[in-house]
Amino acid sequence: MTGRNLKGISKYKKIYAAVISIFVFLCIWQLAVMFTDVGIVMVGPIEVIKLFFVSMVKPIGHDTIQMHIVWSLSRVMTGFVIGSALGVVLGILMGWFRPMNALFRPIYEIIRPIPPIAWIPLSIVWFGIGEPSKYFIIFLAAFSAITMNAFAGVRAVDPELIGAARMLGANNRQVFTTIVLPSCVPHIFAGLQIAIGSSWATVVAAEMVRASQGVGWVIIRGQDSNSTVQIMVGIVAVGIVGFALAVLMRWIEAKLCAWNVRGR
Amino acid sequence: MSSKKKSYLWLSILSIVVFVLVWYLACDVLKLTKPSTLPGPVTVVKTFIAKLTSTAPDGATLFQHIGSSLQIAMSGWAMGVVIGTPLGIAMAWYKKIDLYARPLFDLIRPVPGLAWIPLMILLFGIGLTSKIVTVFLSAFVPCVLNSYTGIRQTKDVHLWVGQTFGASDFQMLMKIAVPTSLPLVMTGVRVALGASWTCIVAAEMLASTKGLGYMIQQARGIYRPDIIICGMITIGIIGALFSWLLTLVERKVIKGVKR
Repeated sequence: MTGRNLKGISKYKKIYAAVISIFVFLCIWQLAVMFTDVGIVMVGPIEVIKLFFVSMVKPIGHDTIQMHIVWSLSRVMTGFVIGSALGVVLGILMGWFRPMNALFRPIYEIIRPIPPIAWIPLSIVWFGIGEPSKYFIIFLAAFSAITMNAFAGVRAVDPELIGAARMLGANNRQVFTTIVLPSCVPHIFAGLQIAIGSSWATVVAAEMVRASQGVGWVIIRGQDSNSTVQIMVGIVAVGIVGFALAVLMRWIEAKLCAWNVRGR
Repeated sequence: MSSKKKSYLWLSILSIVVFVLVWYLACDVLKLTKPSTLPGPVTVVKTFIAKLTSTAPDGATLFQHIGSSLQIAMSGWAMGVVIGTPLGIAMAWYKKIDLYARPLFDLIRPVPGLAWIPLMILLFGIGLTSKIVTVFLSAFVPCVLNSYTGIRQTKDVHLWVGQTFGASDFQMLMKIAVPTSLPLVMTGVRVALGASWTCIVAAEMLASTKGLGYMIQQARGIYRPDIIICGMITIGIIGALFSWLLTLVERKVIKGVKR
């Protein structure tokens, strides 16, 4: 960290600057909507915030905004849990056993560069327009990020540690469980962090293509009915939840591997 | 190459061959799946070759789709890099800019680029502009983040040396901080390109008349999974090509980084 960071500035001043800049931004937005041509297609922040709170009690479609968020989260969580569990296992196997790497790596490398979003049409053809197709897409999004990181984590284990353990008479299994597994945990968490972000983006895309509830659906319905304010409410919801998920993952990481919290 | 390494290579080749063979046997020989859900590899290859010249059923050849997607992804990405990187650098170097621009940036950061697509379509129509703006937004965020972190990694000692030799603030930025940040800036540029590519596919699936995303979305509507798979493979190949090219550039441009 350089000496030019915000260390010297009090927290109070930082919050003060943040409030001012966001307030000025919202004012310019509101004024632009009220007094210029922007207002023909765009809505002001006041309206957006109003509809956001109104939609907590008055449903958009069949559900209130919280229920849409719950729908999207349930999809993300199902795909994310399965994807990360399988990804961690495969990544560690590939990193630790060379034959496993030789066997699975080529197929994994073929699938990896295809963005999960590009799987949406095929998964609809395979699994229909219901929930399973969404689980599948999110599974893919989480899986590929985590496999890569778990793999890199195993490969980054300090060889001196392994050598020392072997010298003290540890067998293969002991080396694996007491050295390799613990030392790749930070890498796995970095993978989980990336995976939760891309899963969330992917669920929004999947719901925009085909769904009848969820935050992505709120956005796309807004477009279909020319309701800018509904689109903005959807975007705000997506942003808040995306932010909350990132903070939550970081908190879990700080709790579970307190010995290795990267400086962020 | 040692004999052990050689046997691993054979194992890798074997794994791909078995994969394709199982696919072929299940779909083309035993006909376990319907061609409207999973076509065999032969059908996919045939469709791929046909699609190079044929415009059926979605009105453009494969190359026209690729060209259209590339054009939008590239323009949005270039804008994101050109605007995002300097902004990230300025935010990390000048306290005032950090204080006031950072909160606004944090406001849009958690929203994935593709969530903006419907709004941009309403604001700018379904033409090029709306897609370029969406791609720009998704390229912009990683560029700012990475160049910001890059500048922040400048060592205090290096800055003190600069100060001792009488460098001005701007000189220290250009001669010390920016070179330090280059590896991370390049990472940002690479991440941004990946994000742009994903975003353009999504944008084309939602509203477009051309492009790879449009192609696979149309193929879904008429139950042609062979075209979908062709499209996905093309998207994957181009994505992989992008990251390979940028890694090459990175190696050339940035010196003194251990890899």
